[in-house]
Amino acid sequence: MSRPPVSLQTRLLAASVVLAVLVIGVFVALVLAASAARTATNEEARSKNVTTSALQLEKLVLDLETGLRGYVLTGNADFLQPYTSAKELLGDARRDLLARTEDEPGQQKRAVAINRSIIQYMGDYARPVLLIAKDNLGAAKDATQNEGTFRIDQLQRDFKNFIAAENELAASHKRSADTKSRHAIELGVAGSVASTILILLFGLYLSRSIARPVREAADGASLLAAGDLSLRLSERGPGEVGELTRSFNEMAGRLGETRAELEEQNAQLRESERLKSDLVNTVSHELRTPLSGVLGFTKLLLTRDFDSETRRHYLGIIDAQARRLAELIDDFLDMRRIEEGRFERAQELVDMVTLLREEAQLYSLQSPKHRLAVEVGPRPLPVMGNPDRLRQVIGNLISNAIKYSPQGGIVEISAEAENGSVRVEIRDEGMGIPLSQQPQIFTKFFRGDAAASGISGTGLGLAVSRDIVESHGGRIGFTSAEGEGTTFFVELPGANGRGGEQGNSPEQS
Amino acid sequence: MESRKTVLICDDEPALRELIRASLDDGYLFAEAGDGVAALDLAGEVNPDVVILDLMLPRLSGLEVLARLNADEQLRDVPVIVITAWNETREDVLAAGAADFVTKPFEPDRLRKAVRAATER
Repeated sequence: MSRPPVSLQTRLLAASVVLAVLVIGVFVALVLAASAARTATNEEARSKNVTTSALQLEKLVLDLETGLRGYVLTGNADFLQPYTSAKELLGDARRDLLARTEDEPGQQKRAVAINRSIIQYMGDYARPVLLIAKDNLGAAKDATQNEGTFRIDQLQRDFKNFIAAENELAASHKRSADTKSRHAIELGVAGSVASTILILLFGLYLSRSIARPVREAADGASLLAAGDLSLRLSERGPGEVGELTRSFNEMAGRLGETRAELEEQNAQLRESERLKSDLVNTVSHELRTPLSGVLGFTKLLLTRDFDSETRRHYLGIIDAQARRLAELIDDFLDMRRIEEGRFERAQELVDMVTLLREEAQLYSLQSPKHRLAVEVGPRPLPVMGNPDRLRQVIGNLISNAIKYSPQGGIVEISAEAENGSVRVEIRDEGMGIPLSQQPQIFTKFFRGDAAASGISGTGLGLAVSRDIVESHGGRIGFTSAEGEGTTFFVELPGANGRGGEQGNSPEQS
Repeated sequence: MESRKTVLICDDEPALRELIRASLDDGYLFAEAGDGVAALDLAGEVNPDVVILDLMLPRLSGLEVLARLNADEQLRDVPVIVITAWNETREDVLAAGAADFVTKPFEPDRLRKAVRAATER
């Protein structure tokens, strides 16, 4: 069961939002606590005011009764003074109490009842008693002792109830506010603790999921810079961190591959350098030997007297050695052309039979120890190509056949038409090519044991020959057994004309 | 009455063997070898007074020929003049037991003097 990976950015955003909501919640809870505390304070003040108002009203009522009774007992109008004063204040005091209880229906009802009782006290009792007292103090006195005591007791009970109810109400409000405040504080504290824990967890998450992988990636990059390309990071990090480590590993892998490639190229370059260095030695040796002949015989001819026959003989040697120098230089130049990839291809009709005969004759003069046997049919075997280059290939193969059979012997040179191609074979009875060296003999500068055996050459002849043959659309190869001899063959596409005709015959593709 | 000295010429290049022959005074007897094995065989046969030895020889290298000549009781004292186009240093060749060292291309007179010095020693 796999979920799509949630990106690190999303996770961090979500975590931040949760934390922000939590902190706001904590703040709101604390504000509510403060608000509840203030409400409790207000409620207390209001309740105190209500109580005060009730006590004032009760005092006024008692003043009324006191003044009334003093007057009734003594008959002296001076004693009526508290009554008069209270009566003036009574209206406001009643309205005050009613106004202050407007928000509390229970207390309002009690206040209204008290108010009605006071109005009845005034209308049904106090005023009639005063009227009676003007005529009959005794009757008024009785009325106060009976009716007044009853009404005042009743009112005092009402006030007592009212105040008790008010106290009860205040206490209830206070309890409610306290509870609210306590809950809010508890909520705030819990929220703070939860926020702290979440922030710690968030920090831990950041540290484990981001800081540590990033640290590892940084350490890994340092190791990488120091050259340790085998290092791989754990790829389990969340979102972008996982991508970072995956990219890092990919980069390390690529770097490793690149380094391996570079090392390989470097090895190839070193090998190439070694071959070039060998070439310098080879060139130096190969050029010096014929040059020794040229310079030595020239010097002899210049400094000593010889008869004309000897002179001619020496000049012939100088000529041959100078030609060999020229050939060597041609080989080196051909090698350069191969390296630079340019080889001219003159398209001419070349008869391989004639070419083989001419080359065989040329080389038979150079090595009296060898017999060069040319076995060709009477008909020409034409190919299209560059006659100088083809001559170079055949000359090189004949020269090799001679060089690598130092004991002398027969070199067989044959040519025949074969499936629209012309196949030339040059077979010697020489030392052969060891099996281990056979794969390399077309490699530039490869000379096998030739140098140690003292066989001259540049190691370029076969490489040049192969290039020429392949540029003519043909192929070159050999079979060889060590100690028995070697047969090289060259196959070239036949031009198949008759004599000097050009073009392909119908049966050829 | 001085008998004719025998010079053994070891070089794989016939033209150079002829050049060496032509460079030297008349009055020497010559033996010629085209490879290292033939050189050793011929040395034992003709007991030369001096050997002129190319280092680049087929079958057996010149340095190997030099070492075997030095190891042979009969041939140990025969002076060997090394003549080479290769890049060995003079010191190495002399240390290997050669009497003299001539580089290709060489002056005919230089070789003649070297041979004369070796035979008259």
